[in-house]
Amino acid sequence: MPQDLAIRIEDLSITYKVSLEAKRTLKNAVMRASLKQKERTRTIEAVKHLSLDLPHGSVLGIVGSNGAGKSTLMRSIAGILSPTEGRIIVNGKISTLLALGVGFNPALSGRDNIILGGLASGLNMDEISNKTDEIAEFAALPDGFIDLPVRTYSSGMYGRLSFAVAVSMTPDILLLDEALSAGDAAFKEKSFERMRQLCAEARTILIVSHALATVTDLCDVAIWMHKGALVAKGKPEQIVDDYLKFLNVGSLPSNYEDM
Amino acid sequence: MAWDGTLTPMPANEAFASKIQVFEPHRASLPPLIPYIKEFWTRRTFAIELARFSDKAEYLDSRLGKVWLVLNPLLLGFVYYLVVTIIRPGGSLPGLTRLDHLLIGLFTFYFAQNCVTAGALSITMGGRLILNQAFPRALLPFSCAIQAFQQFLPTIPVYIFVLLVGKWAYPTTQLPGWTWNFLWIPFILVCTGLTGFGLALVFATLNVYFRDTNKLLTYITRIWMYLSPVLWLPESLRGNMKVLLYINPLGPVLNATSRVWISGESLNNSTIFWCLFWAAASIMIGGYFFISRERDFAIRI
Repeated sequence: MPQDLAIRIEDLSITYKVSLEAKRTLKNAVMRASLKQKERTRTIEAVKHLSLDLPHGSVLGIVGSNGAGKSTLMRSIAGILSPTEGRIIVNGKISTLLALGVGFNPALSGRDNIILGGLASGLNMDEISNKTDEIAEFAALPDGFIDLPVRTYSSGMYGRLSFAVAVSMTPDILLLDEALSAGDAAFKEKSFERMRQLCAEARTILIVSHALATVTDLCDVAIWMHKGALVAKGKPEQIVDDYLKFLNVGSLPSNYEDM
Repeated sequence: MAWDGTLTPMPANEAFASKIQVFEPHRASLPPLIPYIKEFWTRRTFAIELARFSDKAEYLDSRLGKVWLVLNPLLLGFVYYLVVTIIRPGGSLPGLTRLDHLLIGLFTFYFAQNCVTAGALSITMGGRLILNQAFPRALLPFSCAIQAFQQFLPTIPVYIFVLLVGKWAYPTTQLPGWTWNFLWIPFILVCTGLTGFGLALVFATLNVYFRDTNKLLTYITRIWMYLSPVLWLPESLRGNMKVLLYINPLGPVLNATSRVWISGESLNNSTIFWCLFWAAASIMIGGYFFISRERDFAIRI
């Protein structure tokens, strides 16, 4: 893999089976075995034959409708989901912000959760100790809230703290799934500023967002996914424009039909 | 591709070269073990702190707080003492020795049981972590084993206190005072922890595939305790029944516990072998079963 690439995805397909049973239990398995029945499953093709090269320092926006495979793609790049076919090569340390408050315990204080969230993200104790105040300041929590249980936080405060923990890392590659929706307008601007700072430090960032303005504002390249397949890759403005047309018309543009 | 834009590649950071990860399809086989173990070791602080904070959160809203860590097993010991003395009044052991055997047996058994029951739920309960962060999944049951150990530790001073009070009240008791054979205790605890952790890996995996495993585990652990030398002495087994001490993963460590704590004896080679055998077998079988399937957990949860 060329050294200038942060991520190379080669013909990636991710398929998995989901059980149609309400709950998978030992009891049901024994019942099925006694009746010589097979488990009823449905095969989901979440990502289909997707290939992509992403150089270091790129900010990639991923757009697509619900069920397009965006989150599955992000999780496979993070190493959370394994490919069914193809291969992903990642060149650098990854940090993920795929959901808010991962690793958080609502009964514990914000300060304790910074430690837990940071450790879950891969930081070590020294790094977290050095950054605790910085994270608390970035999250802009009201006075004294940092030592209160997180269950007493508003959803905005909770989101800001989660976001602050994730971007406190200095990853080579940052994966963000709808995370920029955390907080109010002022915090969004602050988040954007932090994103720009990370971009300036030659970090590679992948952003999944339904807020298309985020993609055009922050990204220098975008892809559009539909039902697991890559429909198009290009300049964010062009991709967003085509995607919006698709949303209005409801069918893929004719120039993408063969893809 | 519709894109004709140009992207100027940024200069590659030389440090990236050492961080290349390749994700490829897999079947139910082990991932490369050396990187896995390295990553597990690197992120052990996460498991330790997760255990510490889970412990803290568990007792945060309780008025008695961590006093429950001591009260709970003590009350349990009292209940079982009543049961045992009612079922077998005037058995072969003097009352104090019987109480002490019961207490230390229960404390040790519950250490292993807590490893297994909490570990069994660790993956299904840790769904958000599993779905959103990449890390060796074995850290979650490992964290439960650490938490079980942290909850076991305060019971040791309680046991020693009961022992000292008993020796003061009944100076003729056969229970040992200080002996160098107590140096076997760390060995016994390490074997108990490893066996519990290994079994937790098995049940954590089963619980991902069959969500009622945990319900079944309630009955398994209860039967397991009755088949272990907790309510009865290892020496009371006769003939073929002695096999219970060896086919039961906790049989050898509980036998060793009784031998050291109650009789003040050293461990013989056979007991040492069986303690090590079950610790190693549990880790190897549990480790293989868990690690070979952990890449499926994010889909199954």
